[in-house]
Amino acid sequence: MMPVIDVQHLTKTYKTYKRGAGMGQTFKSFFQREEVVVHAVNDISFAIGQGEICGILGPNGAGKSTAIKMLCGALYPTSGEIQVLGYSPARDRKRYVGKIGAVFGQKSQLIWDIPPIDSFHMNKAIYGIANPDFKSRLEELTELLDIAHVIEKPTRVLSLGERMKCEFVMAMLHRPDILFLDEPTIGLDVIAKVKIREFIRQMNKKQNMTCILTTHDLEDVEELAHRVIVINHGDKVFDDSLQQLKLFLGEKKRVNFTFAESVQGTVFDNAYTKVIDRLSDFQITLEVDTAHISISDFLEDISRKHRFSDISVKELPIQQVVMNIYENAGGVDE
Amino acid sequence: MKRYLDVYKQGMYSALQSAAAYRMNFIVSSLITLAGNILFPLVTLLIYRAGTSFPGWGLYEVLLIQSVFTMSSGLSSLIFGGVLWTTMSHVREGSFEVILLKPLNPLFFIIATTFSIDSVGLFLGGVSLFIFAAMHVGAIPVLFWLQFAGMFIAGTAVLAGLSLMMAAISFKWVGNSRISELADSVLHIGKYPLPIFPKAVQAAATMIIPVGMVGFLPASALLGRVHASDYAAILPCFLFLAAGIWIYRHMIRLYEGVGG
Repeated sequence: MMPVIDVQHLTKTYKTYKRGAGMGQTFKSFFQREEVVVHAVNDISFAIGQGEICGILGPNGAGKSTAIKMLCGALYPTSGEIQVLGYSPARDRKRYVGKIGAVFGQKSQLIWDIPPIDSFHMNKAIYGIANPDFKSRLEELTELLDIAHVIEKPTRVLSLGERMKCEFVMAMLHRPDILFLDEPTIGLDVIAKVKIREFIRQMNKKQNMTCILTTHDLEDVEELAHRVIVINHGDKVFDDSLQQLKLFLGEKKRVNFTFAESVQGTVFDNAYTKVIDRLSDFQITLEVDTAHISISDFLEDISRKHRFSDISVKELPIQQVVMNIYENAGGVDE
Repeated sequence: MKRYLDVYKQGMYSALQSAAAYRMNFIVSSLITLAGNILFPLVTLLIYRAGTSFPGWGLYEVLLIQSVFTMSSGLSSLIFGGVLWTTMSHVREGSFEVILLKPLNPLFFIIATTFSIDSVGLFLGGVSLFIFAAMHVGAIPVLFWLQFAGMFIAGTAVLAGLSLMMAAISFKWVGNSRISELADSVLHIGKYPLPIFPKAVQAAATMIIPVGMVGFLPASALLGRVHASDYAAILPCFLFLAAGIWIYRHMIRLYEGVGG
């Protein structure tokens, strides 16, 4: 597969200042500040092919957003080379960004006080989209995302899920070749997450559009990505298929229980279950190895022994994933 | 070019819509700006009523200078007024990449999307005061009007350059809301007849930071009081704007965002 994104030895460092905590340190920082060099992205290389959906995983502060901003041409790398669709993103920014779309989960492209439809018209002018094309594209996107009824309401009155769907329309109107998604499902409810993931899958399939997705939600990656890159403290610690990542994870899930009765003295640890957190005699978090027992069998087993009032089943937190990768692979997988 | 015009048109439309969304804020803000700028020439009126004056300059001549200054400020504020605050807020919040994602000159995009409709009050206040003062200074020949128009455009270029330089500083001096006061303190010089200032200040206000072109020189052109050497101050005005654009574009490279 011909790579559309080729990243070689990408590094981004920047300077910040340590200000300390408390009144004394704050006062001192007015006169003397300690400079700190942050290695946000540290010599990472990878290539991504046309039509791939690649998830970039990492805990908060790992450097994944910095990496995606450099790929979008919004930040200049400190060193290293990036080639996307034959462009150097930061140097050829103006020509390059017309070929890509981006959704930043925490930064809106919509104009706050006016309806999304007017923001869409702004993008129509920016990208020079012809009228018939704009109309048909808008109809297609609003139908897929089921937001035709909200696009004429002021943005500020929309729910987070509705706004995020409108952000996707903003990013997709000009039919980009590559879509960059930075935490696109952050803060969304389950229904909105499912809709957005379905939309990304369809766009990828219909347009053979390449997607780069940063997230710390393993579910996003499981649902969408063909391939996963894990970044931690600016370093690439894993770069392989989702199947390979699952081998490292060992098919584990976390189950939070709120029991209706005290489970003091009950031993939950066994060959396939481990106690992760015991908040009280009523609230316990267990890690279940689903390679050995299915979640339904596990829940049936527990419900036979104890009554519970609430449960939630979650993927492993990304910090745990990174730890598993380090433990199993001894660090970097090149 | 058509694409840029369409974007600007859409930006103006969005600004109007936003103003319409908060009608009371728009009305109150326009009135406060208008009142603040009309009160300022009243001080001049009080000075002259008290029997004192700016030597060599009559009341309506000084009011003419001040009205031209207000018109120029209003026009510049309409077009460039939002650049400083928008840049500052994007840099502080780390959302400037939203601007950089557009296949346009980022400076143009910010200007197009920050059309400050609130400044209409300031501009119209300046126009009203200008008409009032011009009616009291006698007949103005067509040639003087042409000279005035050229110098007025040059003065607006100075204000635009100053706005861009202040906005550029916000890339480095993150979150400093007093940046605009730096510009205001320099601009005050343009509100008064330049000859009342020491020679060094006069030279700086025509050739280095040409704030003399904002109010004083265009008004002097209308009054037929410009000298041949004053025309030399037009070039620095456009150089000043070019410097503002260059510095702003250079400072964009320093943008580092904030943690994601």
